[in-house]
Amino acid sequence: MEKTGVKVKETNGYIVFKWFNTIIMLIVCAVTLYPFLYLVAQSFSSEEAITLGKVNLLPIGFNVETYKSVLVKGEFMHAYKNTLVYSVLGTILSLVFSCCMAYPLSKKELKGYKVLTKFVIFTMYFGGGLIPNYVLMMKLHLINRIAGFIIPSLLSTYYIILMKSFFAETPHELEEAGELDGLSPIGIFIRIVLPLSMPIIATMVLFNAVGYWNNWYNAFLYLDKKEMWPVAYYLKTVISGASTSADPGEATAEKMQIAANIKSCSMVLMALPIICIYPFISKYYVEGMMLGGVKE
Amino acid sequence: MKKIATIAVAIACAAVLLTACSGKKTAKGGAASAEAVGYTFGEEKTFHSDNPVTYSISFSDASWYAMQDTWKTEGVFKDIEDVTNVHLDITSYDSGDYGQKVNLAINSGSATYIIPKIYSEDQYVAGGGVVAVSDYTQYMPNFTAFVNKYNMGPDLDTIRQSDGKFYRLPGMHQAALQDYTIMVREDIFEAAGYKIRELEKDWTWESLHDVLVGVKKYMVSQGMCKESDYIWSDLWCGESGKGQGGNLLKLMGASYNVLSGWAIEGSNGGIKYDWKKKEFYSSSISDDFKKLVTVANSFVKDGLLDPETFTQADDVAHNKFYSGKTVIMSTNRSQMANDIAGVQKILGDSAKCYVTAYPSGTNKNLAETSRLECGVMISQKALDELGQADFIKLVRFVDWMFYSKEAYSLCKWGPEGKTWEWSTAANGAKVKKLKPGFKCGGLGLPGADTDVDIRLKWGYAGGNYFYGHSTEESTDAFTPEVQDLYARYGKYKTVATVDPKAKPTEDQREQLNLWAVPLIDNINAWTLKFVTGQKDINKDWDEYISSCKNLNVDKIVALTNEIYKKQ
Repeated sequence: MEKTGVKVKETNGYIVFKWFNTIIMLIVCAVTLYPFLYLVAQSFSSEEAITLGKVNLLPIGFNVETYKSVLVKGEFMHAYKNTLVYSVLGTILSLVFSCCMAYPLSKKELKGYKVLTKFVIFTMYFGGGLIPNYVLMMKLHLINRIAGFIIPSLLSTYYIILMKSFFAETPHELEEAGELDGLSPIGIFIRIVLPLSMPIIATMVLFNAVGYWNNWYNAFLYLDKKEMWPVAYYLKTVISGASTSADPGEATAEKMQIAANIKSCSMVLMALPIICIYPFISKYYVEGMMLGGVKE
Repeated sequence: MKKIATIAVAIACAAVLLTACSGKKTAKGGAASAEAVGYTFGEEKTFHSDNPVTYSISFSDASWYAMQDTWKTEGVFKDIEDVTNVHLDITSYDSGDYGQKVNLAINSGSATYIIPKIYSEDQYVAGGGVVAVSDYTQYMPNFTAFVNKYNMGPDLDTIRQSDGKFYRLPGMHQAALQDYTIMVREDIFEAAGYKIRELEKDWTWESLHDVLVGVKKYMVSQGMCKESDYIWSDLWCGESGKGQGGNLLKLMGASYNVLSGWAIEGSNGGIKYDWKKKEFYSSSISDDFKKLVTVANSFVKDGLLDPETFTQADDVAHNKFYSGKTVIMSTNRSQMANDIAGVQKILGDSAKCYVTAYPSGTNKNLAETSRLECGVMISQKALDELGQADFIKLVRFVDWMFYSKEAYSLCKWGPEGKTWEWSTAANGAKVKKLKPGFKCGGLGLPGADTDVDIRLKWGYAGGNYFYGHSTEESTDAFTPEVQDLYARYGKYKTVATVDPKAKPTEDQREQLNLWAVPLIDNINAWTLKFVTGQKDINKDWDEYISSCKNLNVDKIVALTNEIYKKQ
C-alpha cells in the first residue's frame, strides 16, 4: 500500500507549546552553561580584570599564561597523571570483578542464589561505617597505596545488579549450545556471554571511568601523601582548603590569595577530558540506565 | 537445655559488654620520681637525646605554603634534629581536612605521638585516644615556669574536663592578642571630613554608622558610587562565617556582651557568666542581643553594609575593597599588609588604608579574652608504645619544642645568623630583623620578589609549631604599624575577664550538645534575619524568644548552673 504522505497539521496550541518549550529549554541551557562559561572566561583573563570584577562571559585581558603556569606546575600535572592511572586501572579491575560477581548471580540455578543475592543487596543499605572501614584499610596496609584508592570503590552493588539483569537476558539456548560443544562455564562466559554483552560493558566502562575520575573521597580518607593525590582531591584542597580549616579566620588570614584565574584554570582542565568524551558516549549513558530493566 | 543455653549466652553477652565498657585506660605515672637517663633537658636548656630517637608528629599542611622537601633537608625539621637529635616522622594532612583526618587517626588508633594544631579536644577525651597531659606537666619545666610566671592557672582551668584534668597542652599568651579589626580608606574618610585617627579614640558602632552615612554621601556627590551601592562589603562572614555571621558579629557582639558570630561556637547557645549575679545566662536571648542586632541592622537598613556579606565568598569582599568600590573592611594582623598592598597595586599610592582599633558598644572590650590558643595533644598510643620512662622523655621534648624560648625562636625565625640578626630599632631597643635577601609571609614581613621567603623555602614561621609565649616574643615580628595598632588597643580598648567554665561529665556534655546544636542553628538563623532585615527586631522578637525556649535554652542554662555549682 502506498504511503499517502499526509502531513498532520499542527494545532495552534501545539505550536505555542513548542515555542514556549523551546524558550524554557533555552533559558535552562543558558542558566546551566553560564557558570561554566564564566569559569572558562576567568581562566583566560588577567588577575587584575578578575579582581576588578570586569570578567563576565568573555575573557578580559586574554592570556594563556595561567594555563602555561598550571600545566608546568609539577603538582597539578602529577595529580592529573595519578587520576589517569587510577581511572584506567580502576575501571578495568572494576569491570572484571563486577562481571565475575554478576554472571553467577544471573543464574537462578546457582546454589545459595537467594542468600547470595540478599547478601549483595544488604550492602546497598548497610555499611561498616567510616572508622571500621578505615581500620580495615589500615590493617591491610592499604593506606597510601594505589590499591587503597581503587579497592573501596571497586564493586558497586547497583552496577552489579544492572549487569546481573543484563546477563540474565542472554538467550539460554546459546549457552546450552556452548555447553554441548564442550565449553566450561568460564568458557561459555568468556566466549559467548561477554561478546554479546558489549552494551552493558561499554556502559560500565563509562560509569566507572567517570566515577574514578571524579572521586576525591577515597583520596581524602586513604591517601595522605600529596604525590598520590588525584586531581579531584588536589583541586578540592586548592579551592576549599582555607575556608574549611579549623580556625577559618586564621586560615584565610595567612593565605596568600590563590588567584581566581588559577582556580578556574585548574577546574577547566579537570573537567575537559570528560567534556570532550561525553558527546560521543552520551547515548550509552542514557541507554545504560535502562539496560538492566526487565524486558520479558 | 534451651533454658541453660539461653542463660549461658546472656552471661557471655554481659561479660563482653562489661569488658567493652571498662572505660579508658587510666594514665599511668604522675610520680615525679623518673630520672632522666640518656638525654638533657631543663628550663631554658636545650633538650638533647644522647641516642637518635624518632617521634611521629602530625602536620597541618596549608596549601598556600605547602611543605617542601627542603624543610626536611635544610629547614626547620633539620634544625630541630640537629639541635635535639630527635627525628620527626611527619604525617602531613591538608589543612582543610586536618581536623577530620586527626579525628579519624585517633579513633582508629593510628594517631601520631604528637598532635599539634588542636583547637578543641573535647571530642577525644571520652574515647581514651589521648593522654591526660595534666598528669605529666610536672615533667615540663618550661611549661610550668610559664604558668607560674604569668599566672596561667585560671586560664588552664577553663580547659579542664570533669575529671579535673586537661588533655591539651595549650599555646599560652602572656596577654590576649586581638588579631581582627576594621580597616578603612583613610584618604576617602578625610576627604569626606572625618579624621579617623581622632574618631577611633572613643567611637562606637553607632557613631561609625553616622560617619559612614556621611562618607557615602560624599562618595555619591563625587560620583564614586551610586546611592544604591553599598560602601561596606565584608569578609569572614559568609563562606568562612559558617552561617553564624563570622568575624563581624563576633567583634560587634563582644562590644555588647554577646557571644555572636564565630564566638557562638562551643558556647552552648551563647552562654555567658554574669559576674554580678554569679550565674550563667544565655546572652543570645538577652536585651544586649537585641541591642546588638539593632545596631548591626542599622548598617544594612541604611544602605551601608551589603547584606551579601553574610553569604559571599571572602574574595568578593577583597575584590571590592581593592578596586575601591568599598571603603571599609575587616582585616587582621597577618592579612593587613596584603590588603594595603592589594589596594595600592590597583588604585595607586594615593589610596591610604588605616587599620583602626575598632569601635566599642556598651563596653570597650576586645573580642579576644582568652590567653590560650590552639595546642598539642599526645596520643595514648605514645604512652602504650614507649612505656613510662620514654614517654616522659617525649613529654620533655614536647616541653622544649613548644614552650622553650630557644625552640620558639628557631621555629619562628630560623637559626640566628642564617635568616635573621639582631638590629637596633629607632627607640634603641634590640629587635630581630630578617637578613637582606629574605622575607616572610608568615610574619607579615614583605620583601622583593627575588627575596627568599623563609616560610616557603624552609618552613619557619608556619602555624604548626609556635604558639603563644610572652608578649615580647609574640610581638617580635610586628612591624611598626602593627605595634602602633596594639598600642592603640592598649589605650582605647579593654580586656574582659575570662568567664569561668562549667565542667560537664561525658553524659552531661552529650545532653548539652544535643540541646545546643539545634538551638545554635536557630540563633544563627534568626541573627542573620534580624541583621539583614528579613525579620523585624521589635515585631518578631517574642517569636524569636519562643523559638529559643522551645529549643531548650532554659534547660541548657539550668544544667550549666547546676554543673558549675557542684564543682
